[in-house]
Amino acid sequence: MTGRGAATEVPHRVWWPGPPRRTARETGWLVVAGVASPLALATVIAVFTVGVALSPLGLGVLVIAGAVRGMRVAGALHRWLAAVLLREQVRPPAPVHLRPGLWRWVVARVGDRHGWRALAYLVLRLPVAFAGFAVAGSLAVFGVPAVTYPVVWFFAGGSLPVYDIFSRTWPGTLLWAVGGVVALAAVPWIVHALAFADRQLVRFLLSDGGLLQRLRFLEETRATALDDAAQQLRRIERDLHDGAQAQLVAMAMKLGLAKEELAGADIDLDQVRTLVDAAHGNAKQALVELRDLARGIHPAALDKGLDVSLSTVATSAGIDATVSVDLPRRPPPTLETIVYFAAVELMTNAAKHSGSPCLVRIEEYGEALRLSVSDHGPGGAGIMPGGGLAGIAERLRPVDGELRVSSPPGGPTMVTAELPLPR
Amino acid sequence: MRIVIAEDSTILRHGLVELLGLRGHEVVAAVKDGEQLRTAVHEHRPDVSVVDIRMPPSHTDEGLRATIDLRAQLPGCAILLFSQYVETNYAQQLLADQAGGVGYLLKDRVAEVSDFLDALRRVAGGETVLDPEVVRQLFAATGRSGPLAELTAREREVLDLMAQGRSNSAIATGLFLSAGSVEKYVTSIFTKLGLPPSEGDNRRVLAVLRYLGA
Repeated sequence: MTGRGAATEVPHRVWWPGPPRRTARETGWLVVAGVASPLALATVIAVFTVGVALSPLGLGVLVIAGAVRGMRVAGALHRWLAAVLLREQVRPPAPVHLRPGLWRWVVARVGDRHGWRALAYLVLRLPVAFAGFAVAGSLAVFGVPAVTYPVVWFFAGGSLPVYDIFSRTWPGTLLWAVGGVVALAAVPWIVHALAFADRQLVRFLLSDGGLLQRLRFLEETRATALDDAAQQLRRIERDLHDGAQAQLVAMAMKLGLAKEELAGADIDLDQVRTLVDAAHGNAKQALVELRDLARGIHPAALDKGLDVSLSTVATSAGIDATVSVDLPRRPPPTLETIVYFAAVELMTNAAKHSGSPCLVRIEEYGEALRLSVSDHGPGGAGIMPGGGLAGIAERLRPVDGELRVSSPPGGPTMVTAELPLPR
Repeated sequence: MRIVIAEDSTILRHGLVELLGLRGHEVVAAVKDGEQLRTAVHEHRPDVSVVDIRMPPSHTDEGLRATIDLRAQLPGCAILLFSQYVETNYAQQLLADQAGGVGYLLKDRVAEVSDFLDALRRVAGGETVLDPEVVRQLFAATGRSGPLAELTAREREVLDLMAQGRSNSAIATGLFLSAGSVEKYVTSIFTKLGLPPSEGDNRRVLAVLRYLGA
C-alpha cells in the first residue's frame, strides 16, 4: 500500500469498480446527480423560455442572460459534486470576461460558451440519470429479495411480491438466490460503468475546455498586457513632458536671464535674486516630480521585499494598515511588482472607502501566493466592469492571478488575490 | 515686437511672458490651445507668434496644424514653433509652403536668452530659422544622394548654417572664413543645386529647402 488510494487511477483497471467505499460514493453520485440534473435542466429551460417569451419587451434578453448564467451555476454545482463523489477534479472554466456597459454585459453573458456547454451536459446526462435509476435500481430491487428468498420460503413459503419470484421446491429457491447474488454482484459494475460515462461528460463539458480555451485566454491576456504596457509608457512620457521637462525648461529660461543680467554693465541684483529664486523653485519641483514618477515605475523599496515596501507605502501615504508578509522564499520580481501595485491600490481603496484600519496579508497558499486586504468598512464593494477592482483583476490575469471579493453590505470587506507561484 | 504666445504648460507660458516682457517686448495674448491661437492671431495680427507644437485637445501636433492653417490664411504671418522634441516630419510640413518667416526650435534654446530672441527677431523679419538639431535630423533623413552628394564637406557646412538662418557674415565668423570665400561657397552651392540667379525666388531659401528635402 502506498497510501495514495483514490488519487491513482490505473488505466487498465478502468472497468474495475474498486473497493465498496468507491461504489458507495458512485451510487451516491448517481442518486444525487440523478435528482439534481433533471431539476436544474427543468429550471434553466423554464427561465430560458420565459426569456424568449419576453424578448419582444427587450427585458427578455436580460432573463436569457440570467438563464445562461444559471446554466453556468448548474455546471459549477455538478463540478463540485463530481469532485466530492466521483473524485473527478476538473479545471473550472475562467469567469466570464465582463466589460462596462449593459449591452456588452448581455452579450458576454448570453455568449458564455461555458454556460451553453453546461446546458449540453445537463441534456446529455439525462439518459445516464435515467439508466442509473432503471438498471442499477431494478437490479438492486430484484437482488435483495431474491437472495433472501430461500430463508423466506423456509419459514413462510409462497412467492415474493417483486419480479414474480416463485418456486415450488426449496432447491428451486436456491436458484433464485444465485440469481440474486449475480444481480447484486453486477450492481457495482453497472454503477461504475455509468459513473464512467458521467466522468467523461464532466471532463469534456464542465472543464475549462483544455488547450483551446487556454490558448484563447492567453491571447486575450497577452493583448491586455501589451495594451497596459503601452498605455503606461504613454503616461510616463506625458508626465515627463508636462512635469519635470517643463520645470527644467523654465529653470533654464530663468537662469539664462540671470546669466545675461549678470554679464551686463549695471546689474539689477534684485531681479537676479528673483530669477535665481524662481529657478531654484523649478529645480526642486522637477526633483519631486521625477521622484514621484520613478516611484510609479518601480518603487526602490521593493528591492527590499514586499514587507518593507508595503509598510513604507502605508506610512508615507498615511494609511492605517497592518502589513504581514509570510513567504518562505521571495517570489520572482515580476510577480512581486504585480502584487505590490495590486496591494497598494487595494490599501488605498480600503483607506478611501472604509475609513477603518486595514489588514494586508501576503502568504503562500498551496502553490500560490495569496494577497488579502481586509477592512471593517461599510462593505458593498464588488468587481464592476470598468471599476477599480476590475482593473486590478485585469492586471492579474496575465499571470493567471484571480481576484475575489467578499463584501456584504455592512462589511467587513475582504479582497483576495491568488497568483500561482512558479515551481 | 508684438507677440502671441501659445503654450499649454502654465509654467512655461508664464516664463515666456516674463522673459519677453523683461526684454521689452509686448505679449498681446498668451493662450493655451490651437483654437485660441487661431482667434488670437486673427485678432491681434502680431509681429510673430511663439507656438508650442503639442497642445490640447489632441496633445499631438495641434500647434503645427494651427500654424499651417494660419499661414495659409494670413500670408506673411510669422510663427516660431517651439517643441521639446524634434520631428523631421513636422519640419517638412512647416517648410512646405517655402514662404519664410517660420522657425522650429527646441524649447531648450530659451536657456540662451539672447540667441532665442535673435531667432525670434529673424523669424519676424521673414527668415527661416531651424534648430541645429532639426537640421541634423533632416539631413540624416534626406540622406546623401542626388545633387547634395556633390557638395564638398565645407559647402555642406555652409549650407547647414544657412539652414539655421545665418547670414553670410555670421557664417564667415562661425567658420573662421573671409566674407569673400563664404560668398564663393554659396555661389557654388547654388550652381550645384541647379538654382540659377533669378529675380523672384529667394535662392537662399530654395537651397535650404532643397537641402532639407522639403
